[in-house]
Amino acid sequence: MSECNVDDAASNEAWVPFKDRPEWRDLKPIPQDDGPDPVVQIAYSEQFREVYDYFRAIIAADEKSERALSLTKEAAELNPANYSVWNYRRNILQELNKDLKEELKYISQVIEDNPKNYQVWHHRRVIVEWLEDVTDELKFTEKILKEDAKNYHAWQHRQWCIQQFSLWDQELDYVDRLLKEDLRNNSAWNQRHFIIKNTTGYTDEIIKKELKYSQDFIRKAPNNESAWNYMKGVLQERKLFDFPGVLEFCHELYSKQIRSPFLIACMIDCYEEMLELGKPKKEETLQKATQLCNELAEEHDTLRREYWQYIARSLASKYGADVSGDS
Amino acid sequence: MATKNHTHRDYDSKSSKYDDYINFSTSMSRDELLKKKHITFLKRVLQVLPSQQLDTHRVSVAYFAISGLDVLDAMKEIDDQRNNLIHWIYSLQVQPDPSGKNLSQCGFRGCSMLGHLYDSHKAKGQLIPYDSSNIAMTYTSLVSLLILGDDLSQVHKKSVIAGIRSLQQSDGSFVSVLEGSESDMRFVYCACCVCYILDDWTGMDVEKTVAYITQSLSYEGAFGQKPFNEAHGGSTFCAVASLVLLDRLNSALTENQLSRLKRWLLRRQESGFTGRPNKPADTCYSFWVGATLQMLGVLVLSDVTLNRSFVLSTQSPVTGGFSKYPDHVPDPLHSYLGLCGLSLIGEPGLSPIFPALNLSQRAYDHLSNLQRQWREKH
Repeated sequence: MSECNVDDAASNEAWVPFKDRPEWRDLKPIPQDDGPDPVVQIAYSEQFREVYDYFRAIIAADEKSERALSLTKEAAELNPANYSVWNYRRNILQELNKDLKEELKYISQVIEDNPKNYQVWHHRRVIVEWLEDVTDELKFTEKILKEDAKNYHAWQHRQWCIQQFSLWDQELDYVDRLLKEDLRNNSAWNQRHFIIKNTTGYTDEIIKKELKYSQDFIRKAPNNESAWNYMKGVLQERKLFDFPGVLEFCHELYSKQIRSPFLIACMIDCYEEMLELGKPKKEETLQKATQLCNELAEEHDTLRREYWQYIARSLASKYGADVSGDS
Repeated sequence: MATKNHTHRDYDSKSSKYDDYINFSTSMSRDELLKKKHITFLKRVLQVLPSQQLDTHRVSVAYFAISGLDVLDAMKEIDDQRNNLIHWIYSLQVQPDPSGKNLSQCGFRGCSMLGHLYDSHKAKGQLIPYDSSNIAMTYTSLVSLLILGDDLSQVHKKSVIAGIRSLQQSDGSFVSVLEGSESDMRFVYCACCVCYILDDWTGMDVEKTVAYITQSLSYEGAFGQKPFNEAHGGSTFCAVASLVLLDRLNSALTENQLSRLKRWLLRRQESGFTGRPNKPADTCYSFWVGATLQMLGVLVLSDVTLNRSFVLSTQSPVTGGFSKYPDHVPDPLHSYLGLCGLSLIGEPGLSPIFPALNLSQRAYDHLSNLQRQWREKH
């Protein structure tokens, strides 16, 4: 929901009160009516109050003019989360046929100062839509992501641009670069899935390639949930069983004494699927799965002890008609 | 306990840093819930807010304070303000114009910023351009009224529902205001809450809504804000709560999807909960993720002790209130969600909550009574 930022210090050095601005003399400001006994009052500064008194007056008159445009800038600066101000600004931009390239430059600056604000990203998106020009968008989002590689707003905007303007070509290279910088960047893994799903799709051939890609990263950091989630996600519409390399890969790591909870969970999933498909050696498979659940519960993922015990119990009740499980 | 739980992290280079963080936060944890301090903090929020950036969302901040006091079982503390609060919230309702002209704008605004009059009778018939409701403010206004014990008799129910309906997009998602905004799972959730509360699902195309939600299920097994967006604790709460309110949880998701979802959610626990893999724990996810686990019936499988001590470590012993991380500045959102997170795991002295609507069980029972009366009338 809404972010609770403390306001930035006012950036304007010399603010001129409206009574000293001749161009506003004809307009009567409209005060806010908060009733006789206001609650959750905002401690408005005098400047804030005055700017918004004039903003109300402009809205009431539905005035779309140069001075109204500059007023929206002042109002947005005081509260960039005010969606009504941005909406009205867009109406004026259209009405006055303003240079949208300039607007894009302006909103870039505002976003850089408020990178986690919904309203400013939305404003940018509408401007890009109107311009039908995405020349700067990938570069711009990249710049924002450099500051915070997991900024959800920036990724959303980037995905929208890529989808809207078919910018699929270079994106896997970008993702690759990000993952080399930080293999725990879950947003980058997600982007990888987004690109492949919408271009080549996860064909058998691509799946094999992506399994190898994620497994290489898992070898580097076996405890990285992001890479495991991606590897499992690649296979979500298939059977793990159709890719015997997965269980082999797990066995290989396990034999090297790696006990990452994600590794062990993946092995449990492989065994569970074998049970589901009614493969032979049912009792042995169930026993292996149960054993691994116990390892997680007792040693390698004790925080989720209750969960792994629950998984062991449900496997036993589902597939162990004559196996009573482990107490 | 904390160190033992994290032995598996030794494989990765970043883990030691993380363990330090955990040790730091648990060693700093305050064992007791500072109930009195939080009451003071939330009562102060109801009087004055520190940030001008909260202006357009004032009613949602009031909701954090009102509902927080309810969860603290301290409604009597604001008994004298009750009528005034109810009156103020109703003053934020967009009055339907007799001409029907502004029907799609109806609902509640977050504040009086655009210049409408406090007196609803005088405000009626005075149309202000762009004066639309905001879906999140409609939701938080309605729940706040319920918590305050109001019977919603002054809510223009049909108009509010018409307002909600006008915000649904062709892909099933919702925007927050008629004039246009981003559209995502947050507003889907708000729409579901409003339709549920007013007991009128004509406010949306239900099938489209359900389709949007299921399309936003990511390869990770949890929900993003939109199709293909990264799975996130907040959007996952919104998606699951919406399905619960729609009574579609078990038909919209397969058993396999539900199991994967449960695992993703439980894996969010580090000490407190995280919103995404490889991000640090944050107080609010003890609610977003905790409540989702509760709705799925598996919150009992999480580690209550660690969760509790993390949330308590984010209390401010000076001002009261909670922040997202230990030793940060507290804010209304994290204060409220921290309390809810604790209520979910049975913290003594806190009222139980009804997670899907994010209000107390007491307020939920009040709503159920109202709905029974409305149905009898029809």
